[in-house]
Amino acid sequence: MPSLRLENVSKRFGGLTAVGDVSLTVPEGTITGLIGPNGAGKSTVVNLITGMLKLTEGRIVLGDEDIGEIGPEEVVRKGIARTFQNIRLLPEATVLENVLIGFHRHETASILAGLLNLPSVWREGKALRKQAEALLERFRMSDYADLPAGGLAYGHQRRVEMMRAVASGPDVLLLDEPVAGMNDVEADELGVIFKDLAASGMGLLLIEHNVRFVTKLCPVVHVLNTGRMIASGPAEEVMRDPAVITAYLGKGQA
Amino acid sequence: MMSYYQAYQPIIDFFLLNLGFAYSQQVALRAGVFSVATAGFGALGAYASAILVTRMGISPALAIATATLVGTAVGFLLSVPLARLRGVFQAIATLAFVEVIVSFLYYAEGITGGAIGINNIPRMVSTPALLAAVAAVMYVTWAIGRSGVGRAFDALRQDETVAACLGVSIRNYHALAFVLSGAIGGLFGGLQSLYVFSIEPGQFGFGFMVAILTAIVLGGRGTLIGPVAGCAILALLPEIARPLAENRPLVNGVILIAVIIYLPQGVGDGLLLQWRNRRSARRARAIEEASRAVP
Ligand SMILES: Nc1ncnc2c1ncn2[C@@H]1O[C@H](COP(=O)(O)OP(=O)(O)OP(=O)(O)O)[C@@H](O)[C@H]1O
Ligand SMILES: [Mg+2]
Repeated sequence: MPSLRLENVSKRFGGLTAVGDVSLTVPEGTITGLIGPNGAGKSTVVNLITGMLKLTEGRIVLGDEDIGEIGPEEVVRKGIARTFQNIRLLPEATVLENVLIGFHRHETASILAGLLNLPSVWREGKALRKQAEALLERFRMSDYADLPAGGLAYGHQRRVEMMRAVASGPDVLLLDEPVAGMNDVEADELGVIFKDLAASGMGLLLIEHNVRFVTKLCPVVHVLNTGRMIASGPAEEVMRDPAVITAYLGKGQA
Repeated sequence: MMSYYQAYQPIIDFFLLNLGFAYSQQVALRAGVFSVATAGFGALGAYASAILVTRMGISPALAIATATLVGTAVGFLLSVPLARLRGVFQAIATLAFVEVIVSFLYYAEGITGGAIGINNIPRMVSTPALLAAVAAVMYVTWAIGRSGVGRAFDALRQDETVAACLGVSIRNYHALAFVLSGAIGGLFGGLQSLYVFSIEPGQFGFGFMVAILTAIVLGGRGTLIGPVAGCAILALLPEIARPLAENRPLVNGVILIAVIIYLPQGVGDGLLLQWRNRRSARRARAIEEASRAVP
């Protein structure tokens, strides 16, 4: 699977540099960590990769293809999926329906077949349902299949979002604080799934405040502070870096 | 039985005609397109089939097929300039579209008969034809609900950004919604003009638009049964509230407000959702109890 590369990426909102000259790689088959204090620019990085925000400067490259200028619909077709920090489910839809829409880019039945309910549509519908149920099983959400997604506990809502992203069959998966608000047991349960996904060749970018969690999963961690990359490397090393310590503690002490 | 049917036949026929227009309105709203263009599609379909039948002697079936095609084509054409608009701006733009169509019908006297309209239309459509058309439209609506098209529409309506991030083409599916709305609107416009003997531009103005929109607000945007519920309420209301006939607009208004407050998703969608939520609350309780039973 292709790797994702950010080259000297910047994003300015008026006078504010939310992301400044950031370069990083999300290699296939591993989980890459991205940490930093609040407002560091982590979510902005995800929004830039997925085409929801336009780059001010720099390049975003998937494999050997420049994907910096394309919009969200195209980005997902290239094989990049994401979750949202502020969970965004289809609130009226059930858990299963939320996951089914994730398969959209793989649907092959024509629109005309859909309007006439031809056999190709129900065959495909049945196959997708099966795949969706397998995903629910994997994320331990089978019991919740028919419940409206909007009413679930946050931990479960996050799982639905992840399943939906995985359903799109990405090469690169961007997770924006996927275990926020979960206890260690729940988080570790998802950690196992993330490792599985990486083992299958997928490249994951994990944004997280929980340093323990990141340290456990990510061979390489990047640290952002006020839009700048202040450290990169193995988690233990990075966490000892004076610049990182100041960035995290400085906020409280200043 | 027969006389009973005859007494109510006009009500049934108008119910079926309105139901068709309501599905045209619903498919747009379902995809998150705030279009009120159904009145315009209906007007174009009605005039197309009336002109073909009265001036050119074309068979009713062919005239209605042409009306459907006109609606389809105009639906697509309308979707192109409106692709960048959303919500209330879409509503205003489609409102303007209807105004343009209605004004054209007034001014192009040579073709449309102006304010007098077209008055010598033979009745060539009867209840079975209306039933067949409604059945066809309901089948397509049901099929959409079971397919990826319905999933894409529902996703677009609930969160356009999420839909885009999952690869749903906003432009294509919004265009499809306009095309379907146009096709259904054109079809029922064609049927209507071959049923009512005469048509004039005023029929397709603001009142028509509000009535069709009301049917969907009352019934619901997402379910097959929504338009049926909405149109049934609108058709039965005057019958039930006959003693209040003088205050009909008031009664309509009160009912509409009551539905918006107590069943904001509409009667059809709202009751279905309540039933589903009750069922899922039971289910959630069962899951919780089961997990407590296991030590
Ligand atoms: N669409 C936007 N318009 C203007 N400013 C923005 C926008 N998105 C983000 N910002 C600003 O950019 C900076 C980085 O925000 P971002 O959300 O990327 O931070 P973050 O690292 O994800 O923080 P958190 O840990 O709180 O999620 C912040 O100062 C934020 O206010
Ligand atoms: Mg963030």
